Amino acid sequence: MMVASRNLRLCTKDCMCLFVCPTGATDTESGQIDASKCLDGCRLCVDACPGGAIYLVPRNYPKPQPKREDVVKALFALAESKVKTRALANGLGDDYPLARKALDFSLEVLAEDCVREGGYMLPQSVVTKEFLKDLRERYGDDPAFPVKAVERLLDLL
Amino acid sequence: MGAFNHGELTVICTNLRKACEKQLRSEEAALFGNLATYFSGKTESPGQATLQEIGAVIDEELATLYPQANEQAEAAGDRGTKRALLWGEKVTRLHKSFLMRLERNPKLLDETPVWVCESCGFLFVGAVSPAICPICKVPNIKIHKMEVR
Repeated sequence: MMVASRNLRLCTKDCMCLFVCPTGATDTESGQIDASKCLDGCRLCVDACPGGAIYLVPRNYPKPQPKREDVVKALFALAESKVKTRALANGLGDDYPLARKALDFSLEVLAEDCVREGGYMLPQSVVTKEFLKDLRERYGDDPAFPVKAVERLLDLL
Repeated sequence: MGAFNHGELTVICTNLRKACEKQLRSEEAALFGNLATYFSGKTESPGQATLQEIGAVIDEELATLYPQANEQAEAAGDRGTKRALLWGEKVTRLHKSFLMRLERNPKLLDETPVWVCESCGFLFVGAVSPAICPICKVPNIKIHKMEVR
């Protein structure tokens, strides 16, 4: 299953996509293509766009490459350390408001990169679904936990 | 899923939020955002910290965690992990140098802006951001100036 998507930065408003689209999926207020109207793999707009601004996004991705267990462990050890550093950076106090913000943002990116490579790359993956089920199991009893978000994600993904 | 702490659960959820945004799945992105907010609120704070304490954790990463992880990724032929480690280690060295500069001059950021790349975490102190990120080579539309009110 592939649906078209528009890179708004590249779109030069030549509107060839509106001209060729058989369903009107490319004609929206938001500027983005309406995936619910887009025909699977049709790609008429992709080929017609003079700016090369439209591409196909897969709805389902292939299985990720298997990861070696020791590599995953090393990545999570690093992620844990980044999270620790991030918490410390947030304890820098009001003497360093900008440094705190910059380190927080940068460390968030570094920690995310470790967990992504450690298996949490694709929202549609088995790993993510098992993760969501585990969260529901562990935190479901807390009234503040957004359990409906978990249920909805399990339906959508 | 092992015993992830709340800080780790937060970044797993923000990472999946960003992955959904990139796939233009806005409803799913918002839901992962809700989960991230929940775990971020529960994240334990170590209280007041010093530049030196942060520097000590970074020294340990550069001395042990990165070399170990690099060796394992090399042995496994894991290109994705090697890429993440290469960028991560470079950014970590920048963090170390940033902390040392702050220690020497606590007013470092009073006159000079600080920038962070949203793709790789590249941190830069200077008047203007480079045209492309020197670490991950993304154009500077993804390098953000840090601002506080």
